Amino acid sequence: MIDFGLPLLIGYPLLLFLFILLSNYLFRNTEFANYVYGLIALSFVSRLSDPKRNDFLKSIFNKDKYKKLRVVENLIYCLPFTLFLIYKEQFVFSILLNLLIIIIMLFNFSTNVNVTIPTPFSKKPFEFAVGFRKTFYVFPIAYVLTYISVSVGNFSLGVFSVLLIGITCFSYYSKIENDYFVWNYNLSPKEFLLEKTKTCLINFLLLSLPIIITLSFSFFNQIDILIVFILLCFAYLTTIIFAKYSSFPNEMNVSQLILIATSLIFPPILLIFIPLFYYQSIKKLKDILND
Amino acid sequence: MIKIEKLSKFYGKNQVLNSIDLEFKKGKVYGVVGENGAGKTTLFRCLSGLEDYKGNISSNYTKLKDHLGLLLTEPFFFSKITGREYIQLLANSRQIKLSNIENKNIFDLPLNQYASTYSTGMKKKLALTAILLQGNDVFILDEPFNGVDIQSNLIITEIIKRFKELEKTVIISSHIFSTLADTCDEIYLMKNGEVIKKVEQVDFNNLEKEMKEFTVGTRIDKLELK
Repeated sequence: MIDFGLPLLIGYPLLLFLFILLSNYLFRNTEFANYVYGLIALSFVSRLSDPKRNDFLKSIFNKDKYKKLRVVENLIYCLPFTLFLIYKEQFVFSILLNLLIIIIMLFNFSTNVNVTIPTPFSKKPFEFAVGFRKTFYVFPIAYVLTYISVSVGNFSLGVFSVLLIGITCFSYYSKIENDYFVWNYNLSPKEFLLEKTKTCLINFLLLSLPIIITLSFSFFNQIDILIVFILLCFAYLTTIIFAKYSSFPNEMNVSQLILIATSLIFPPILLIFIPLFYYQSIKKLKDILND
Repeated sequence: MIKIEKLSKFYGKNQVLNSIDLEFKKGKVYGVVGENGAGKTTLFRCLSGLEDYKGNISSNYTKLKDHLGLLLTEPFFFSKITGREYIQLLANSRQIKLSNIENKNIFDLPLNQYASTYSTGMKKKLALTAILLQGNDVFILDEPFNGVDIQSNLIITEIIKRFKELEKTVIISSHIFSTLADTCDEIYLMKNGEVIKKVEQVDFNNLEKEMKEFTVGTRIDKLELK
């Protein structure tokens, strides 16, 4: 069986490997990893609470079966996090996490609620306007983590907050938009890519500015490390934008994702990947932008 | 002027447009009619540059697409973008600075609501508003009257007439013949990827009759309705 051009026998172990790698990285770098880990797990599981999806399930199953199904679904979805917490001997946390997961199931998002979440990015849609609304809860979490990092003097946790915002912004560029929205631009491919990158980096800076300022004052002697991490976020955000349009109008393929994942082990390799994706994007955008 | 010469389009082995020759002049309104699958939307996508094609499309513009407002049959909307942001997005993409969008909301759309929650007609009106505010010279409107209420229908018809006065080029496809007859200078009839007839305003009535005879014919009798 093939999925996204990658055999599942390779894809799943690779996914597992990346999960363990990132989990280990988190636990090695901060003593508050279990809190952060719990929040990541919760946000991951909350995706199953999509109102449309649950309305569909409710229309098929009776109340009891629906509840059972949702509990089992949530527990299975959370299983990798639970197992890793057990491996790290965080037994209380793993139990608490699973209890929260069950409570989340009882949390019913109403389908009738049609509240427009305000966003600071209304003037420059769409990636950040849409993304911000989907992940607005991440930002207070990141700011609270920064506060904790300063109060307990843990610089790594502060850096993690910047990375959390970076990863969140990174996710805004994971899906390719309808070709109509690229076609509409009266820019050359080069200008188009520069415009997209500029908007992304400025918006990322805006979102992470409170953290950067706080950390710069509180951990002034480690400001060089902070700058390195900000530059890394810049590099990865630029990479994802170029990678996204390098396969336009199709979605990014697994080989591109693997290249990006590989760069996590050795980030300087981005110096090769960024120009590579850039030239591929220019080529792909030429037709649609009639250049 | 926009000139289409020997335009053909294939999807694999399936030919959807067959050697089309057309001319669209400044200040004129053109209608394109035909059954579903006749090739109208593909013609529009080729003309706008959203699809590659065989043949030649030339115009007075260096890049036609930069002066073109394209209304798709089913406009696409992101899940969490408001009507106002959609208009802003399309204006930004053409480097147009918009002010007081609320005043230009001629269809009274709930601009602060997510566009994806709009009804079919509202979506169409929003997409149309957005391309109107782009300041285009050429408009391709694919089924602009679909799902739109009668009041908005009247507004769209008047907008098209105003465009004619402003020397803009408008190409419309519609299944509602009366709206085309009201606005168009010429109507092209498409069938199986070919333009089989070009009809001038004076012959619109005959075209409707012909189309009715040709399309309806004795088809309904087959149902043996009682």
